[in-house]
Amino acid sequence: MTTAQIAIPDQQVDFMPGFGEEQYSQLGVQDEPELLRAKREEAFRFYKNLPVPTNRTEEWRRTGPALFPFDSLKSLPQLKQAEYAGEGSWDKYFDVVVSIDDTSFSIHDRSGVLKKEVVFVLPLAEASIRFPDLVKKHLQGQALPADMGKIEALNSAFWNIGLFIYIPAKTDLKKGILIKHQHQTSGAILVPRLVAVVEEQSTAHITEHFLSVDDLSFMSITSKELYVQQAARLKIVTLKKWGNQSYHVASDMARVEKDAQVDLVTFNTGGKVSKMKFGSDVAGKNSAAELDGLFFGQDDQHFDQTTLQVHSSPDTYSRLLYKGVVKDKAHSVYQGVIQAKPGAIRVDAYQTNNNIVLNDGARADTIPGLLIDADDLKCSHGATIGNLDEEQIFYLRSRGLSESEARRIVLIGFFEEVIERIPQDFIRDHIHELINQKILKEAED
Amino acid sequence: MTTETTFINDEYKYGFVTEVEADTIPKGLNEDIIRMISEKKNEPDWMLEWRLQAYRWWLNKEEPQWPMLNFEPVNYQDLRYYSAPKKMADRFKNEEGKIDPEVKKTFEKLGIPLDEQKQLEGVAIDAVFDSVSVATTHQKVLEDLGIIFCSVSEACEKHPELIKKYLGSVVPYTDNFYATLNSAVFTDGSFVYVPKGVKCPVELSTYFRINAQDTGQFERTLIIADEGSYVSYLEGCTAPMRDRNQLHAAVVELIALGDAQIKYATIQNWYAGDKEGKGGIYNFVTKRGHCRGKNSKISWTQVEAGAAITWKYPSCILEGDNSTGEFYSVAVTNNCMQADTGTKMIHIGNKTKSTIISKGISAGQSANTYRGLVQVLPDAFGCRNYSACDSMLMGDQCSANTVPYIEAENSTAVIEHEATTSKISEEQLFYIKSRGIDEENAINLVVNGFCKEVFKQLPLEFAVEATKLLEMKLEGSIG
Repeated sequence: MTTAQIAIPDQQVDFMPGFGEEQYSQLGVQDEPELLRAKREEAFRFYKNLPVPTNRTEEWRRTGPALFPFDSLKSLPQLKQAEYAGEGSWDKYFDVVVSIDDTSFSIHDRSGVLKKEVVFVLPLAEASIRFPDLVKKHLQGQALPADMGKIEALNSAFWNIGLFIYIPAKTDLKKGILIKHQHQTSGAILVPRLVAVVEEQSTAHITEHFLSVDDLSFMSITSKELYVQQAARLKIVTLKKWGNQSYHVASDMARVEKDAQVDLVTFNTGGKVSKMKFGSDVAGKNSAAELDGLFFGQDDQHFDQTTLQVHSSPDTYSRLLYKGVVKDKAHSVYQGVIQAKPGAIRVDAYQTNNNIVLNDGARADTIPGLLIDADDLKCSHGATIGNLDEEQIFYLRSRGLSESEARRIVLIGFFEEVIERIPQDFIRDHIHELINQKILKEAED
Repeated sequence: MTTETTFINDEYKYGFVTEVEADTIPKGLNEDIIRMISEKKNEPDWMLEWRLQAYRWWLNKEEPQWPMLNFEPVNYQDLRYYSAPKKMADRFKNEEGKIDPEVKKTFEKLGIPLDEQKQLEGVAIDAVFDSVSVATTHQKVLEDLGIIFCSVSEACEKHPELIKKYLGSVVPYTDNFYATLNSAVFTDGSFVYVPKGVKCPVELSTYFRINAQDTGQFERTLIIADEGSYVSYLEGCTAPMRDRNQLHAAVVELIALGDAQIKYATIQNWYAGDKEGKGGIYNFVTKRGHCRGKNSKISWTQVEAGAAITWKYPSCILEGDNSTGEFYSVAVTNNCMQADTGTKMIHIGNKTKSTIISKGISAGQSANTYRGLVQVLPDAFGCRNYSACDSMLMGDQCSANTVPYIEAENSTAVIEHEATTSKISEEQLFYIKSRGIDEENAINLVVNGFCKEVFKQLPLEFAVEATKLLEMKLEGSIG
């Protein structure tokens, strides 16, 4: 966190319900390593002084903070490290599997890369002792946006499961890391924090899989800081399959150095109310970011998604494709920003957002934005909102397909552009299956 | 009394001051001032009451903070809310009232002849000097068709039923900070009423001129196109060069009833301040059109080339089924100018269509923002919108922002939005230069091509003027 952020004058202190002095003192901060404690203290001070978000601010106007059950969910569990509890169906595809549930977490070294110290996947507390310099630099580091809001700051102060992934220079992690979240306890709030550092010329994949069961009152406030150093490449696939009573706030930012590239793919189907922000800052020459997202909203789901494509260095590239479907009474909000900082010339940035509103009652808002403070660049965006293309459906029907089959094929085609960005075929298959289920349900309705 | 041209230069040739004896009121804003303005205008009581309600509402309003604009706050008590050339002041009392020759000369210098014999072919002009309307030309032709084209003050007197019915029906006095202020203190502006089935044969035009120092101009324009009628209206504006900021807070209301069509074009060339950003007009304008009837159409065209600060969102409320809204805009900012402009298209009726074409050009250290809203309400079926917002950057100190808001609450809506921001194309410049055209002209050609889609919406003479204006504004902006 930069000094500019801390230098906020003490104003009237107001906490998010359930995240006040009392809860902070119960975190057991005093038992944490010195470095983490100092970071938390700093974050807590910062958090304390930020104004509580209201739906009068632009950021929260379409997704009021009151939609989140801050006052009814109180339990902020302490997670203990446990033994690996048994194989999941995807585990075999990965080098390292981290699984997190309501009371514990485990880190399973499947291919021996942790043992051989090729890569490191550690709880933050342990990392702060083994790699104090790295943690000091990257936890609450430069990747975080300067204009952090109260709930984002809350994560820095209150995280209850912290992970540190460190890929040393010139490492090619073949299979990658899977982080599984499975939640089954009602009334809990989980605040996960992930810091990943991919050093020079390394390659890594991380897959995140969030699951919570239906009818479970649950909230997660997640934050990721990703550092992709010179000529490194990091790919992250995030699947968010929250249950129908889950609430979710996320803020994920990647900082990409010279010649490096980050690929983020996010897939959101679940959750009652979600507010997600993800993006990248291409901060070194020739760095690139490829961002893709997909969402499917139904019933009374509310998705609020913000993407940031920050260009703070000249000669940088970013591309974003965000696609979504809303049906029933679902409401989606997409806000996309391409920002070229002063001096960021020869920037090439593109942003596309396509929305399909399947029936009346559903709603899609899109706010694509360009904030350009440099010349000699090419930035553009395109956004569309519409229903399924009648002509395409007519074409398929004229080939003898039924209405529902034609609609299914057109919808799958719509999503395919994003799904094909996912490198692992078993995840692609899984998503196809999920979408098929959703569409079949639509056909029945 | 002489007409003095204090300073004319290439950059802003309308920057002279006319010295006329002015009838002004004291600085400041309170209920007495409003009563005084109302009295000067000989207004009926209901009008004064409306103003006072607006003023009381304004006291509780806050200036909008969301635009991407930085400027010194305006001291609303340090402004003069009324100023009129003295000889004109009692125009409505005296039937013989002639136009002050100095004022007439001013308008001639601006290229607007007020004498009947010299009048522009096919354009009827209402000229507004500071707070009052000084002349309205082509009255006879219009009268024969039953078209009312006069100043708002005159309309209050002669057509109170129309004013009562329509004033504030599109932009109520509770609308926003600047519109509320305008409702309280508005001085003059044009009133147009086109009766059923009449196609107005001439272009109607208003020319706004700020002359006096420390005054604000608060004009209010109201255009009503009755069923099946058509009217095309043009507005132009200039002001003297002064190193103090002046405020211009106007309200424009357009009402199109069934099958009616209104075209509204603005060429705004207020003084933009000097190279260091000193002085210039604050242009805070609320413009809104209401397509009330079926198949009605409102089309906004604007060329925003002046003013230190521009805050302006000409909008369309598409209530009548099958109605159409259009917005064509070119916004040029140079030096320290700042513009936050765009449009709102609110689709309420079925099968309503809207088109937005916005071209932003920023040079120097200026900031140019497009901000727009396209909203399709749940009961509006079969709506269509297309928006294209392109920005061109000249120089590495300027900024160009695009912030479109798109909200669809109906599954039958089809909305498309595209935006690009890029530097002026080196390739195009090279191609033109290789044909032996110098850099300056090559830039003009590229810029003209960039803006063509918008300029072709303007009547020919104005398109030519707009082209020239752009060339002048961007002169020397590429080194």
